[in-house]
Amino acid sequence: MSFKKQLKDGLLTNNPVLSQLLGMCSTMAITTTLFNGIGMGLSVMVILICSNVVISLLRKVIPDKIRIAAYIVVIAGFVTMVDLLLKAYVPALSESLGVFIPLIVVNCIILGRAEAFASKHGVLASAADGLTQGIGYTAALVVMCIIREFLGSGTFGKGVFGAGSFGATDGIRILPEQYPALLVILPVGGFLTLGCLIAFTQWLNRRIAQKEAQKEAVE
Amino acid sequence: MKNGKYILRLTVTLLLITAVVAGLLGFVNYLTEDKIAAGQREKAKNAMQEVLPAENYEPLEVSAEGINAAYRADDLGYVVDVTVNGFGGAINMMVGIDADGRVAGVSIVSHSETASLGANCTREDFRTQFSGAEGTLAVVKDGGTIEALTGATVTSRAVTSGVNLALEFVKGVQ
Repeated sequence: MSFKKQLKDGLLTNNPVLSQLLGMCSTMAITTTLFNGIGMGLSVMVILICSNVVISLLRKVIPDKIRIAAYIVVIAGFVTMVDLLLKAYVPALSESLGVFIPLIVVNCIILGRAEAFASKHGVLASAADGLTQGIGYTAALVVMCIIREFLGSGTFGKGVFGAGSFGATDGIRILPEQYPALLVILPVGGFLTLGCLIAFTQWLNRRIAQKEAQKEAVE
Repeated sequence: MKNGKYILRLTVTLLLITAVVAGLLGFVNYLTEDKIAAGQREKAKNAMQEVLPAENYEPLEVSAEGINAAYRADDLGYVVDVTVNGFGGAINMMVGIDADGRVAGVSIVSHSETASLGANCTREDFRTQFSGAEGTLAVVKDGGTIEALTGATVTSRAVTSGVNLALEFVKGVQ
């Protein structure tokens, strides 16, 4: 399996959020500012890579009957470590994401990749899977954040750009303060944005598949 | 007998995995513990300095509900550490009250309010409304003078009630 194909899988054809529809809860809850999206995406990516590597290493040692329990212990361990490290070194992010960092334990992307990929493949391929799926997750979050922040707050890059302390900056204002639709920031807006994004991804995936089929027919 | 051996293997494997993970977690906790505690102390201290700058903060005895701690800030007044329930969970804030029993400043230490709505309670133009106020405060919707945040009446009410708690507490101490 080539890395390029894995990357394409992670970003589009098998994107954890937009195609596998995993980890919806955190996606909906935290994608209100760019800072949150990037922070959450990177945290999940790190945990995904670590847990994929460890589970791939242990895949022949862990008996089938207790595999889920063993995976969860490994995942919970990494999540708690990341949580503690964020609290100590990036408190702004830890505060902004709040309970959603500990909740990565039950994010089905991590367990899903452990079960579907890492338990059946070698260490390198599993690490690459963690990286590419993590990139896909981060990309989906960032796109959601940009759309929701623009429509809902009228800004870009809240917490990353603009004046103020890191993690609590005002962002770059694009729409005047009275125009943005508050609805988009609320959970309702999360569902609407995600629905549109999923539809777009499905359309794109279908087009890609059609083009590939055509190419094969010509050859 | 074969079955017993299998069960033993399951148990020992899981025990080993959990033991290793627990050990690692203990180590990471040991590494980060002091740093996290220092960060929190620093944050609380900054918030106190912001609402009522003083040299020394002398802790007072507290028993009122919602009030975590209170300090006498030299003879400038008091700083009260209050926790109230907002829209998305607890809102922790520092309220400075000057020697005349008026609000000197409000600082939001931590909250989990909705981004762009309730989270705006950390904005200065909202917080400065409280400065100089005394008595019992309320948001405009409830017949008071505090201009609530757009789309975040619950958060605004919560912060206002926190300031009231602090005012009431200081009244009792003075």
